[in-house]
Amino acid sequence: MNWRRYRLIVWKETLQFRRDRLLLPIVFLMPILQLLLFGYVVGADVTNLPTAVVDHDRSVVSRQVTSMMSNSGYFRVVANPATESDLQPLIDSGRIKVAFVIPAGTADALARGQSVPLGIVVDGADSKSASVAAGYASQIVSAYNQQRLAKVAGRVGGPTLNTSVRVAFNPSLKAVNATIPGLIATICMLSIVAIMSQAVVRERARGTLEQMLVTPLTRGEYLLGKITPYALIATIQMAFVAAVGRLWFRVPFNGSFFTVALGLVIFMFTSIGLGLLISLVSRTQAQAQQIMMFVLIPVIVLSGFMFPIESMPAEIVPLTYLIPLRYALVVLRGAFLKGASIPDMAVPLSAMVGFSVLIFGAAVLMFRRRLGD
Amino acid sequence: MTGSTGRIVTIARKEFVHISRDWRIIGAILVLPLAQLLLFAYAISFDVRNVPAIVFDADNSAASRAYVEAATNSGFFIARGSVTSYAQIDQAFDRNQARAAIVIAKGFGRAIAEGGTAQATVLLDGSEPNSAELGRTYAAALNHVFGSRVLAEWSGTRGASVPAVGSLDPRVRIWYNPGRSSAAFLIPGLMAVIIMIVTVQQTAVTLVTERVEGTLEQLLISPLRQIELVLGKVLPWAILGFLDTVVITAVSLAVFNVPLRGDVLVLATGMLAFVVSSLSIGMVISAVAPSIESANLIAIVISFLPGFMLSGMAFPLESVPPFLQAVSYLFPGRYMVDISRGVFLRGAGWSILGPQVLELFVYAAVALTLASLLSRRRTHG
Repeated sequence: MNWRRYRLIVWKETLQFRRDRLLLPIVFLMPILQLLLFGYVVGADVTNLPTAVVDHDRSVVSRQVTSMMSNSGYFRVVANPATESDLQPLIDSGRIKVAFVIPAGTADALARGQSVPLGIVVDGADSKSASVAAGYASQIVSAYNQQRLAKVAGRVGGPTLNTSVRVAFNPSLKAVNATIPGLIATICMLSIVAIMSQAVVRERARGTLEQMLVTPLTRGEYLLGKITPYALIATIQMAFVAAVGRLWFRVPFNGSFFTVALGLVIFMFTSIGLGLLISLVSRTQAQAQQIMMFVLIPVIVLSGFMFPIESMPAEIVPLTYLIPLRYALVVLRGAFLKGASIPDMAVPLSAMVGFSVLIFGAAVLMFRRRLGD
Repeated sequence: MTGSTGRIVTIARKEFVHISRDWRIIGAILVLPLAQLLLFAYAISFDVRNVPAIVFDADNSAASRAYVEAATNSGFFIARGSVTSYAQIDQAFDRNQARAAIVIAKGFGRAIAEGGTAQATVLLDGSEPNSAELGRTYAAALNHVFGSRVLAEWSGTRGASVPAVGSLDPRVRIWYNPGRSSAAFLIPGLMAVIIMIVTVQQTAVTLVTERVEGTLEQLLISPLRQIELVLGKVLPWAILGFLDTVVITAVSLAVFNVPLRGDVLVLATGMLAFVVSSLSIGMVISAVAPSIESANLIAIVISFLPGFMLSGMAFPLESVPPFLQAVSYLFPGRYMVDISRGVFLRGAGWSILGPQVLELFVYAAVALTLASLLSRRRTHG
């Protein structure tokens, strides 16, 4: 390992990178764009859903229910149509997303101790709003029932259940608090794989790879020199995302800096390895691009970054264990939100070490073999 | 004009020859969208089940065991062992062994027997907000059901006549997708997103590759005009892209049983305009980008981020700040998701979706013109 030759390769890569007048701006625009979108789109909490109430009962009960719904902050009552058939045009035109239908005689039936169906109509064409709205509404109805039950039990001296549901680590349930830590690892993977996957195939396509090989440069120096500038760029991107997350989106940080840094360094090796592997198996730059897309999309979907792993069907879940990003997300979210320490993270960290040895090792082996022929 | 058409067809034929030489590209065009469709359709869902839960039962009475059983019987929480202290709950959360904990205070059983107030808590791990939110809903309903059962049993054993407590029974009806199938929810939107990801990539590199290989200059000394070059390059991909949409639609109908309630012609017209729009975005990138690397990166950034996330396919746009809502109108995905959902799920026809289809055609025309103007500037400058 000759230090001077290594530095020269780093310098050559940096020069090449800078010669492309769009690449540098994109590399810095990418985290900003991702922060904006992930912070405000994926991290958006569904509130103020436009709602209609069809109140056939017009009683104390129906007014109570309506005000509980609108006081929750999740629903904003924008229409009070007289009949249920008026709902169709409202939902079709997108003016409302949710409707509550309170049947006539609700108050009387409740007083007689009967159970009354409360209609909750949700626009099913919009998946996330629909499931969230149905959940909120059922929750509010349960709370209302619980109140009534406690009153009756209190009157007759019967037992009551004093239950609370508490959320640990992210009590406000802000989605952005889970998204931004995940974005740090995701952006590292995206930019490293996108650039690294072109690194070797480009030199081969242009014939400069052979020129490199006739110089006194060793393969190790060449490889390290190629990796260094991109690893640096990715580090800057990650630091930027972390800083904006902490300062602008006010994501809490309860863990140790060391745990996060350790996890990211290990993870970076798997990303570099993945990029290199793609670059080595492709014959043309266009192929490298296709393979990259083919790999990255499933990785992101299955990692749990945007779509929770809990909601995936049981047959899909085993596949997620093959995704290194999955473990990186566990480490990052654990460190940011839960303050988990290295012993707590032993399992995901060692899984990541295993993957980086496997993937990076395979890339190095293949690199030596490919460059030999 | 015939000369012009002839030249466009010649370029299109040349492009087809390029494509057919690289069988991997053909594979990518036909296999990639299908693989994505299967992946997204199976993996993405907003229904949560089987949340791993641990139990901290400080009371260990018949009543507390009944509560735990009620909580774990439904399949929402699954019991993953029990612990004997709060510290152990913390540890299990930190190590991701559990996402929920059911905590029952001492004296739970006695309080219920004596008509007192029994204490229980459901703790949820909020680092996965979506599951935690649903967990909250579920726990609230559970507490109500268990509470009323306890009261009924208590009055039964005492022979006391407790007036039956009426309750509201939430009946959720999901319109346009009553079976609550995630596939039907997602696939119509998914189609637009997949096509966007596949098509933008294809054209993003074509002009750059010709420039890098030096063949662009050869094309420019021919009588070919810029717009002819752009159209000729887009045409073969438009045909392939449209074929993709047909295949995806067929698979959605046959495999996922997505209902197709509206006018197929509206869908087909919209898809055609959408494919051309996405390809034109790729051409604009190709005209601007100086190298294949940067063309690549811009294509990924655009098709992934605004194309996917601002399309309204998975994330509702109403809760997004107005600035980003405005940005979403600059990408064709948003219009196509509307059209696709309208036709598949709501059974809408020309009268409702006509404007969106028209907008897509205008979009395609503007983007194509922009691409040919930009590529002229690049090659002459």
